[in-house]
Amino acid sequence: MNVKIEEIDGKMVAILCGSLDTAAAAETEKAMSPLNDANGKDIIIDCTDLAYISSAGLRIFLGILKNAQKQGRHVYIKSINDNVRSIFTITGFSNIFEFI
Amino acid sequence: MGNQVNLDPHGEMLLRQYRELYPTLQQLADEAYNQLCQALHEQGIYVTAIEHRVKTEKSLIGKLELKGAKYKSIDDITDLVGLRVITFYSDEVDKVAAIAKRIFDIDWQESVDKRKLHQLDSFGYNSLHYICRLHSGSARFELQMRTALQHVWSTIEHDTGYKGVVKIPREYKRQFSRLAGMMELIDDEFSRLRVVLTDYRRQMLALVKNGKLDDVPLSAETFRGYLELHPFDRLNKRIAAVNQAEVFPVSMMSYLPVLESLGLETLGDVQQFIDENSDDAYQLALSQLAITDLDILSSNTALQYLCLVHVLKHNGGRDGLKSLYNIINGENDANGMLADLMMEQAKTQPFMRQVNLT
Repeated sequence: MNVKIEEIDGKMVAILCGSLDTAAAAETEKAMSPLNDANGKDIIIDCTDLAYISSAGLRIFLGILKNAQKQGRHVYIKSINDNVRSIFTITGFSNIFEFI
Repeated sequence: MGNQVNLDPHGEMLLRQYRELYPTLQQLADEAYNQLCQALHEQGIYVTAIEHRVKTEKSLIGKLELKGAKYKSIDDITDLVGLRVITFYSDEVDKVAAIAKRIFDIDWQESVDKRKLHQLDSFGYNSLHYICRLHSGSARFELQMRTALQHVWSTIEHDTGYKGVVKIPREYKRQFSRLAGMMELIDDEFSRLRVVLTDYRRQMLALVKNGKLDDVPLSAETFRGYLELHPFDRLNKRIAAVNQAEVFPVSMMSYLPVLESLGLETLGDVQQFIDENSDDAYQLALSQLAITDLDILSSNTALQYLCLVHVLKHNGGRDGLKSLYNIINGENDANGMLADLMMEQAKTQPFMRQVNLT
């Protein structure tokens, strides 16, 4: 699992690549932690190359969302594949995030 | 200092006193404002605006030019520091006044309720003015309390120079009075409407609590009250038990338009919708979750599966599911894919066999 954080057009963008399974969760959470100190910037989680997300991955996303909402920031999830989208849907989280 | 050209020596003396006092006045304005904001917040009173200011030098000079001789010292001018609370409703003016009485010392000799100055058949400036001091001791300051509509009337009256040097003809004065009367009427109607709506909400929530759900129309207010009864908890827990999942709390209010789109009109309809679909919703969720190790679910999960089952049972088919996902997720191309997946998953469900038979 590879995570790259960039600032693009005033937004914090996390680019995820690989499979966010339970084994990769701790390392991914650490790599995404700068998103929690984004100084009022909105967040984009680019999932173009994210193949799979586990419950542990959902928890990371939810943690980022919760923290961002407290600060009035938006979290956008970009370009998820059908497999990942169906996991968001099955678990009832599909209308919690903003998908772009 | 060209401002003071028209002042007599007494006026100039008052102006000097004002300049010396200015920093203290500024502190007083801030302190009184902070105390008032805090007290209103603690009492849960939300108002349109709370303003505070120290009278400007220009404004003071204007006042001293007109009636400077009336004031022996600068302390006799009670509006050097002014606060104004603008409320939504007329009855809130009295609530703000009650709070002001508690947190400030009121100079009753100087305070005036302009609402009571009018004759029965006349209308005009309606505002409550208190002259106050801080409990800790301070110069006096003026607190004006009025509704938003009274504020509009008063501001426009001021802007048009109603009290200026040019005498306004009687017919125009009458127009102002007429508008003041209309504002008073509207203020009363808003207050009355609020009381009626508050009573209605209480009545509806009481019906919800007493279980008389058929009598309660489905609305944001009533649905929120209904959710306090945790009507989806049982099914959520049942579904969560499939993978020993954590139920992550999220707002369920986003499902109100979904329920409305399904034609549910009362909370009784919602209760019936739960009763009729819970077992099938559980089976559908089970068929999807049991083959995964997903151990976190949103608290919307039960509601989502109930809606899916309802649509399928009512022969909504793939298009019905797609429309449902459009409401839940917002319209996007992926909703068709989700509908296809769900149709595939639902095929094996017993309730679908019944659907197919009818």
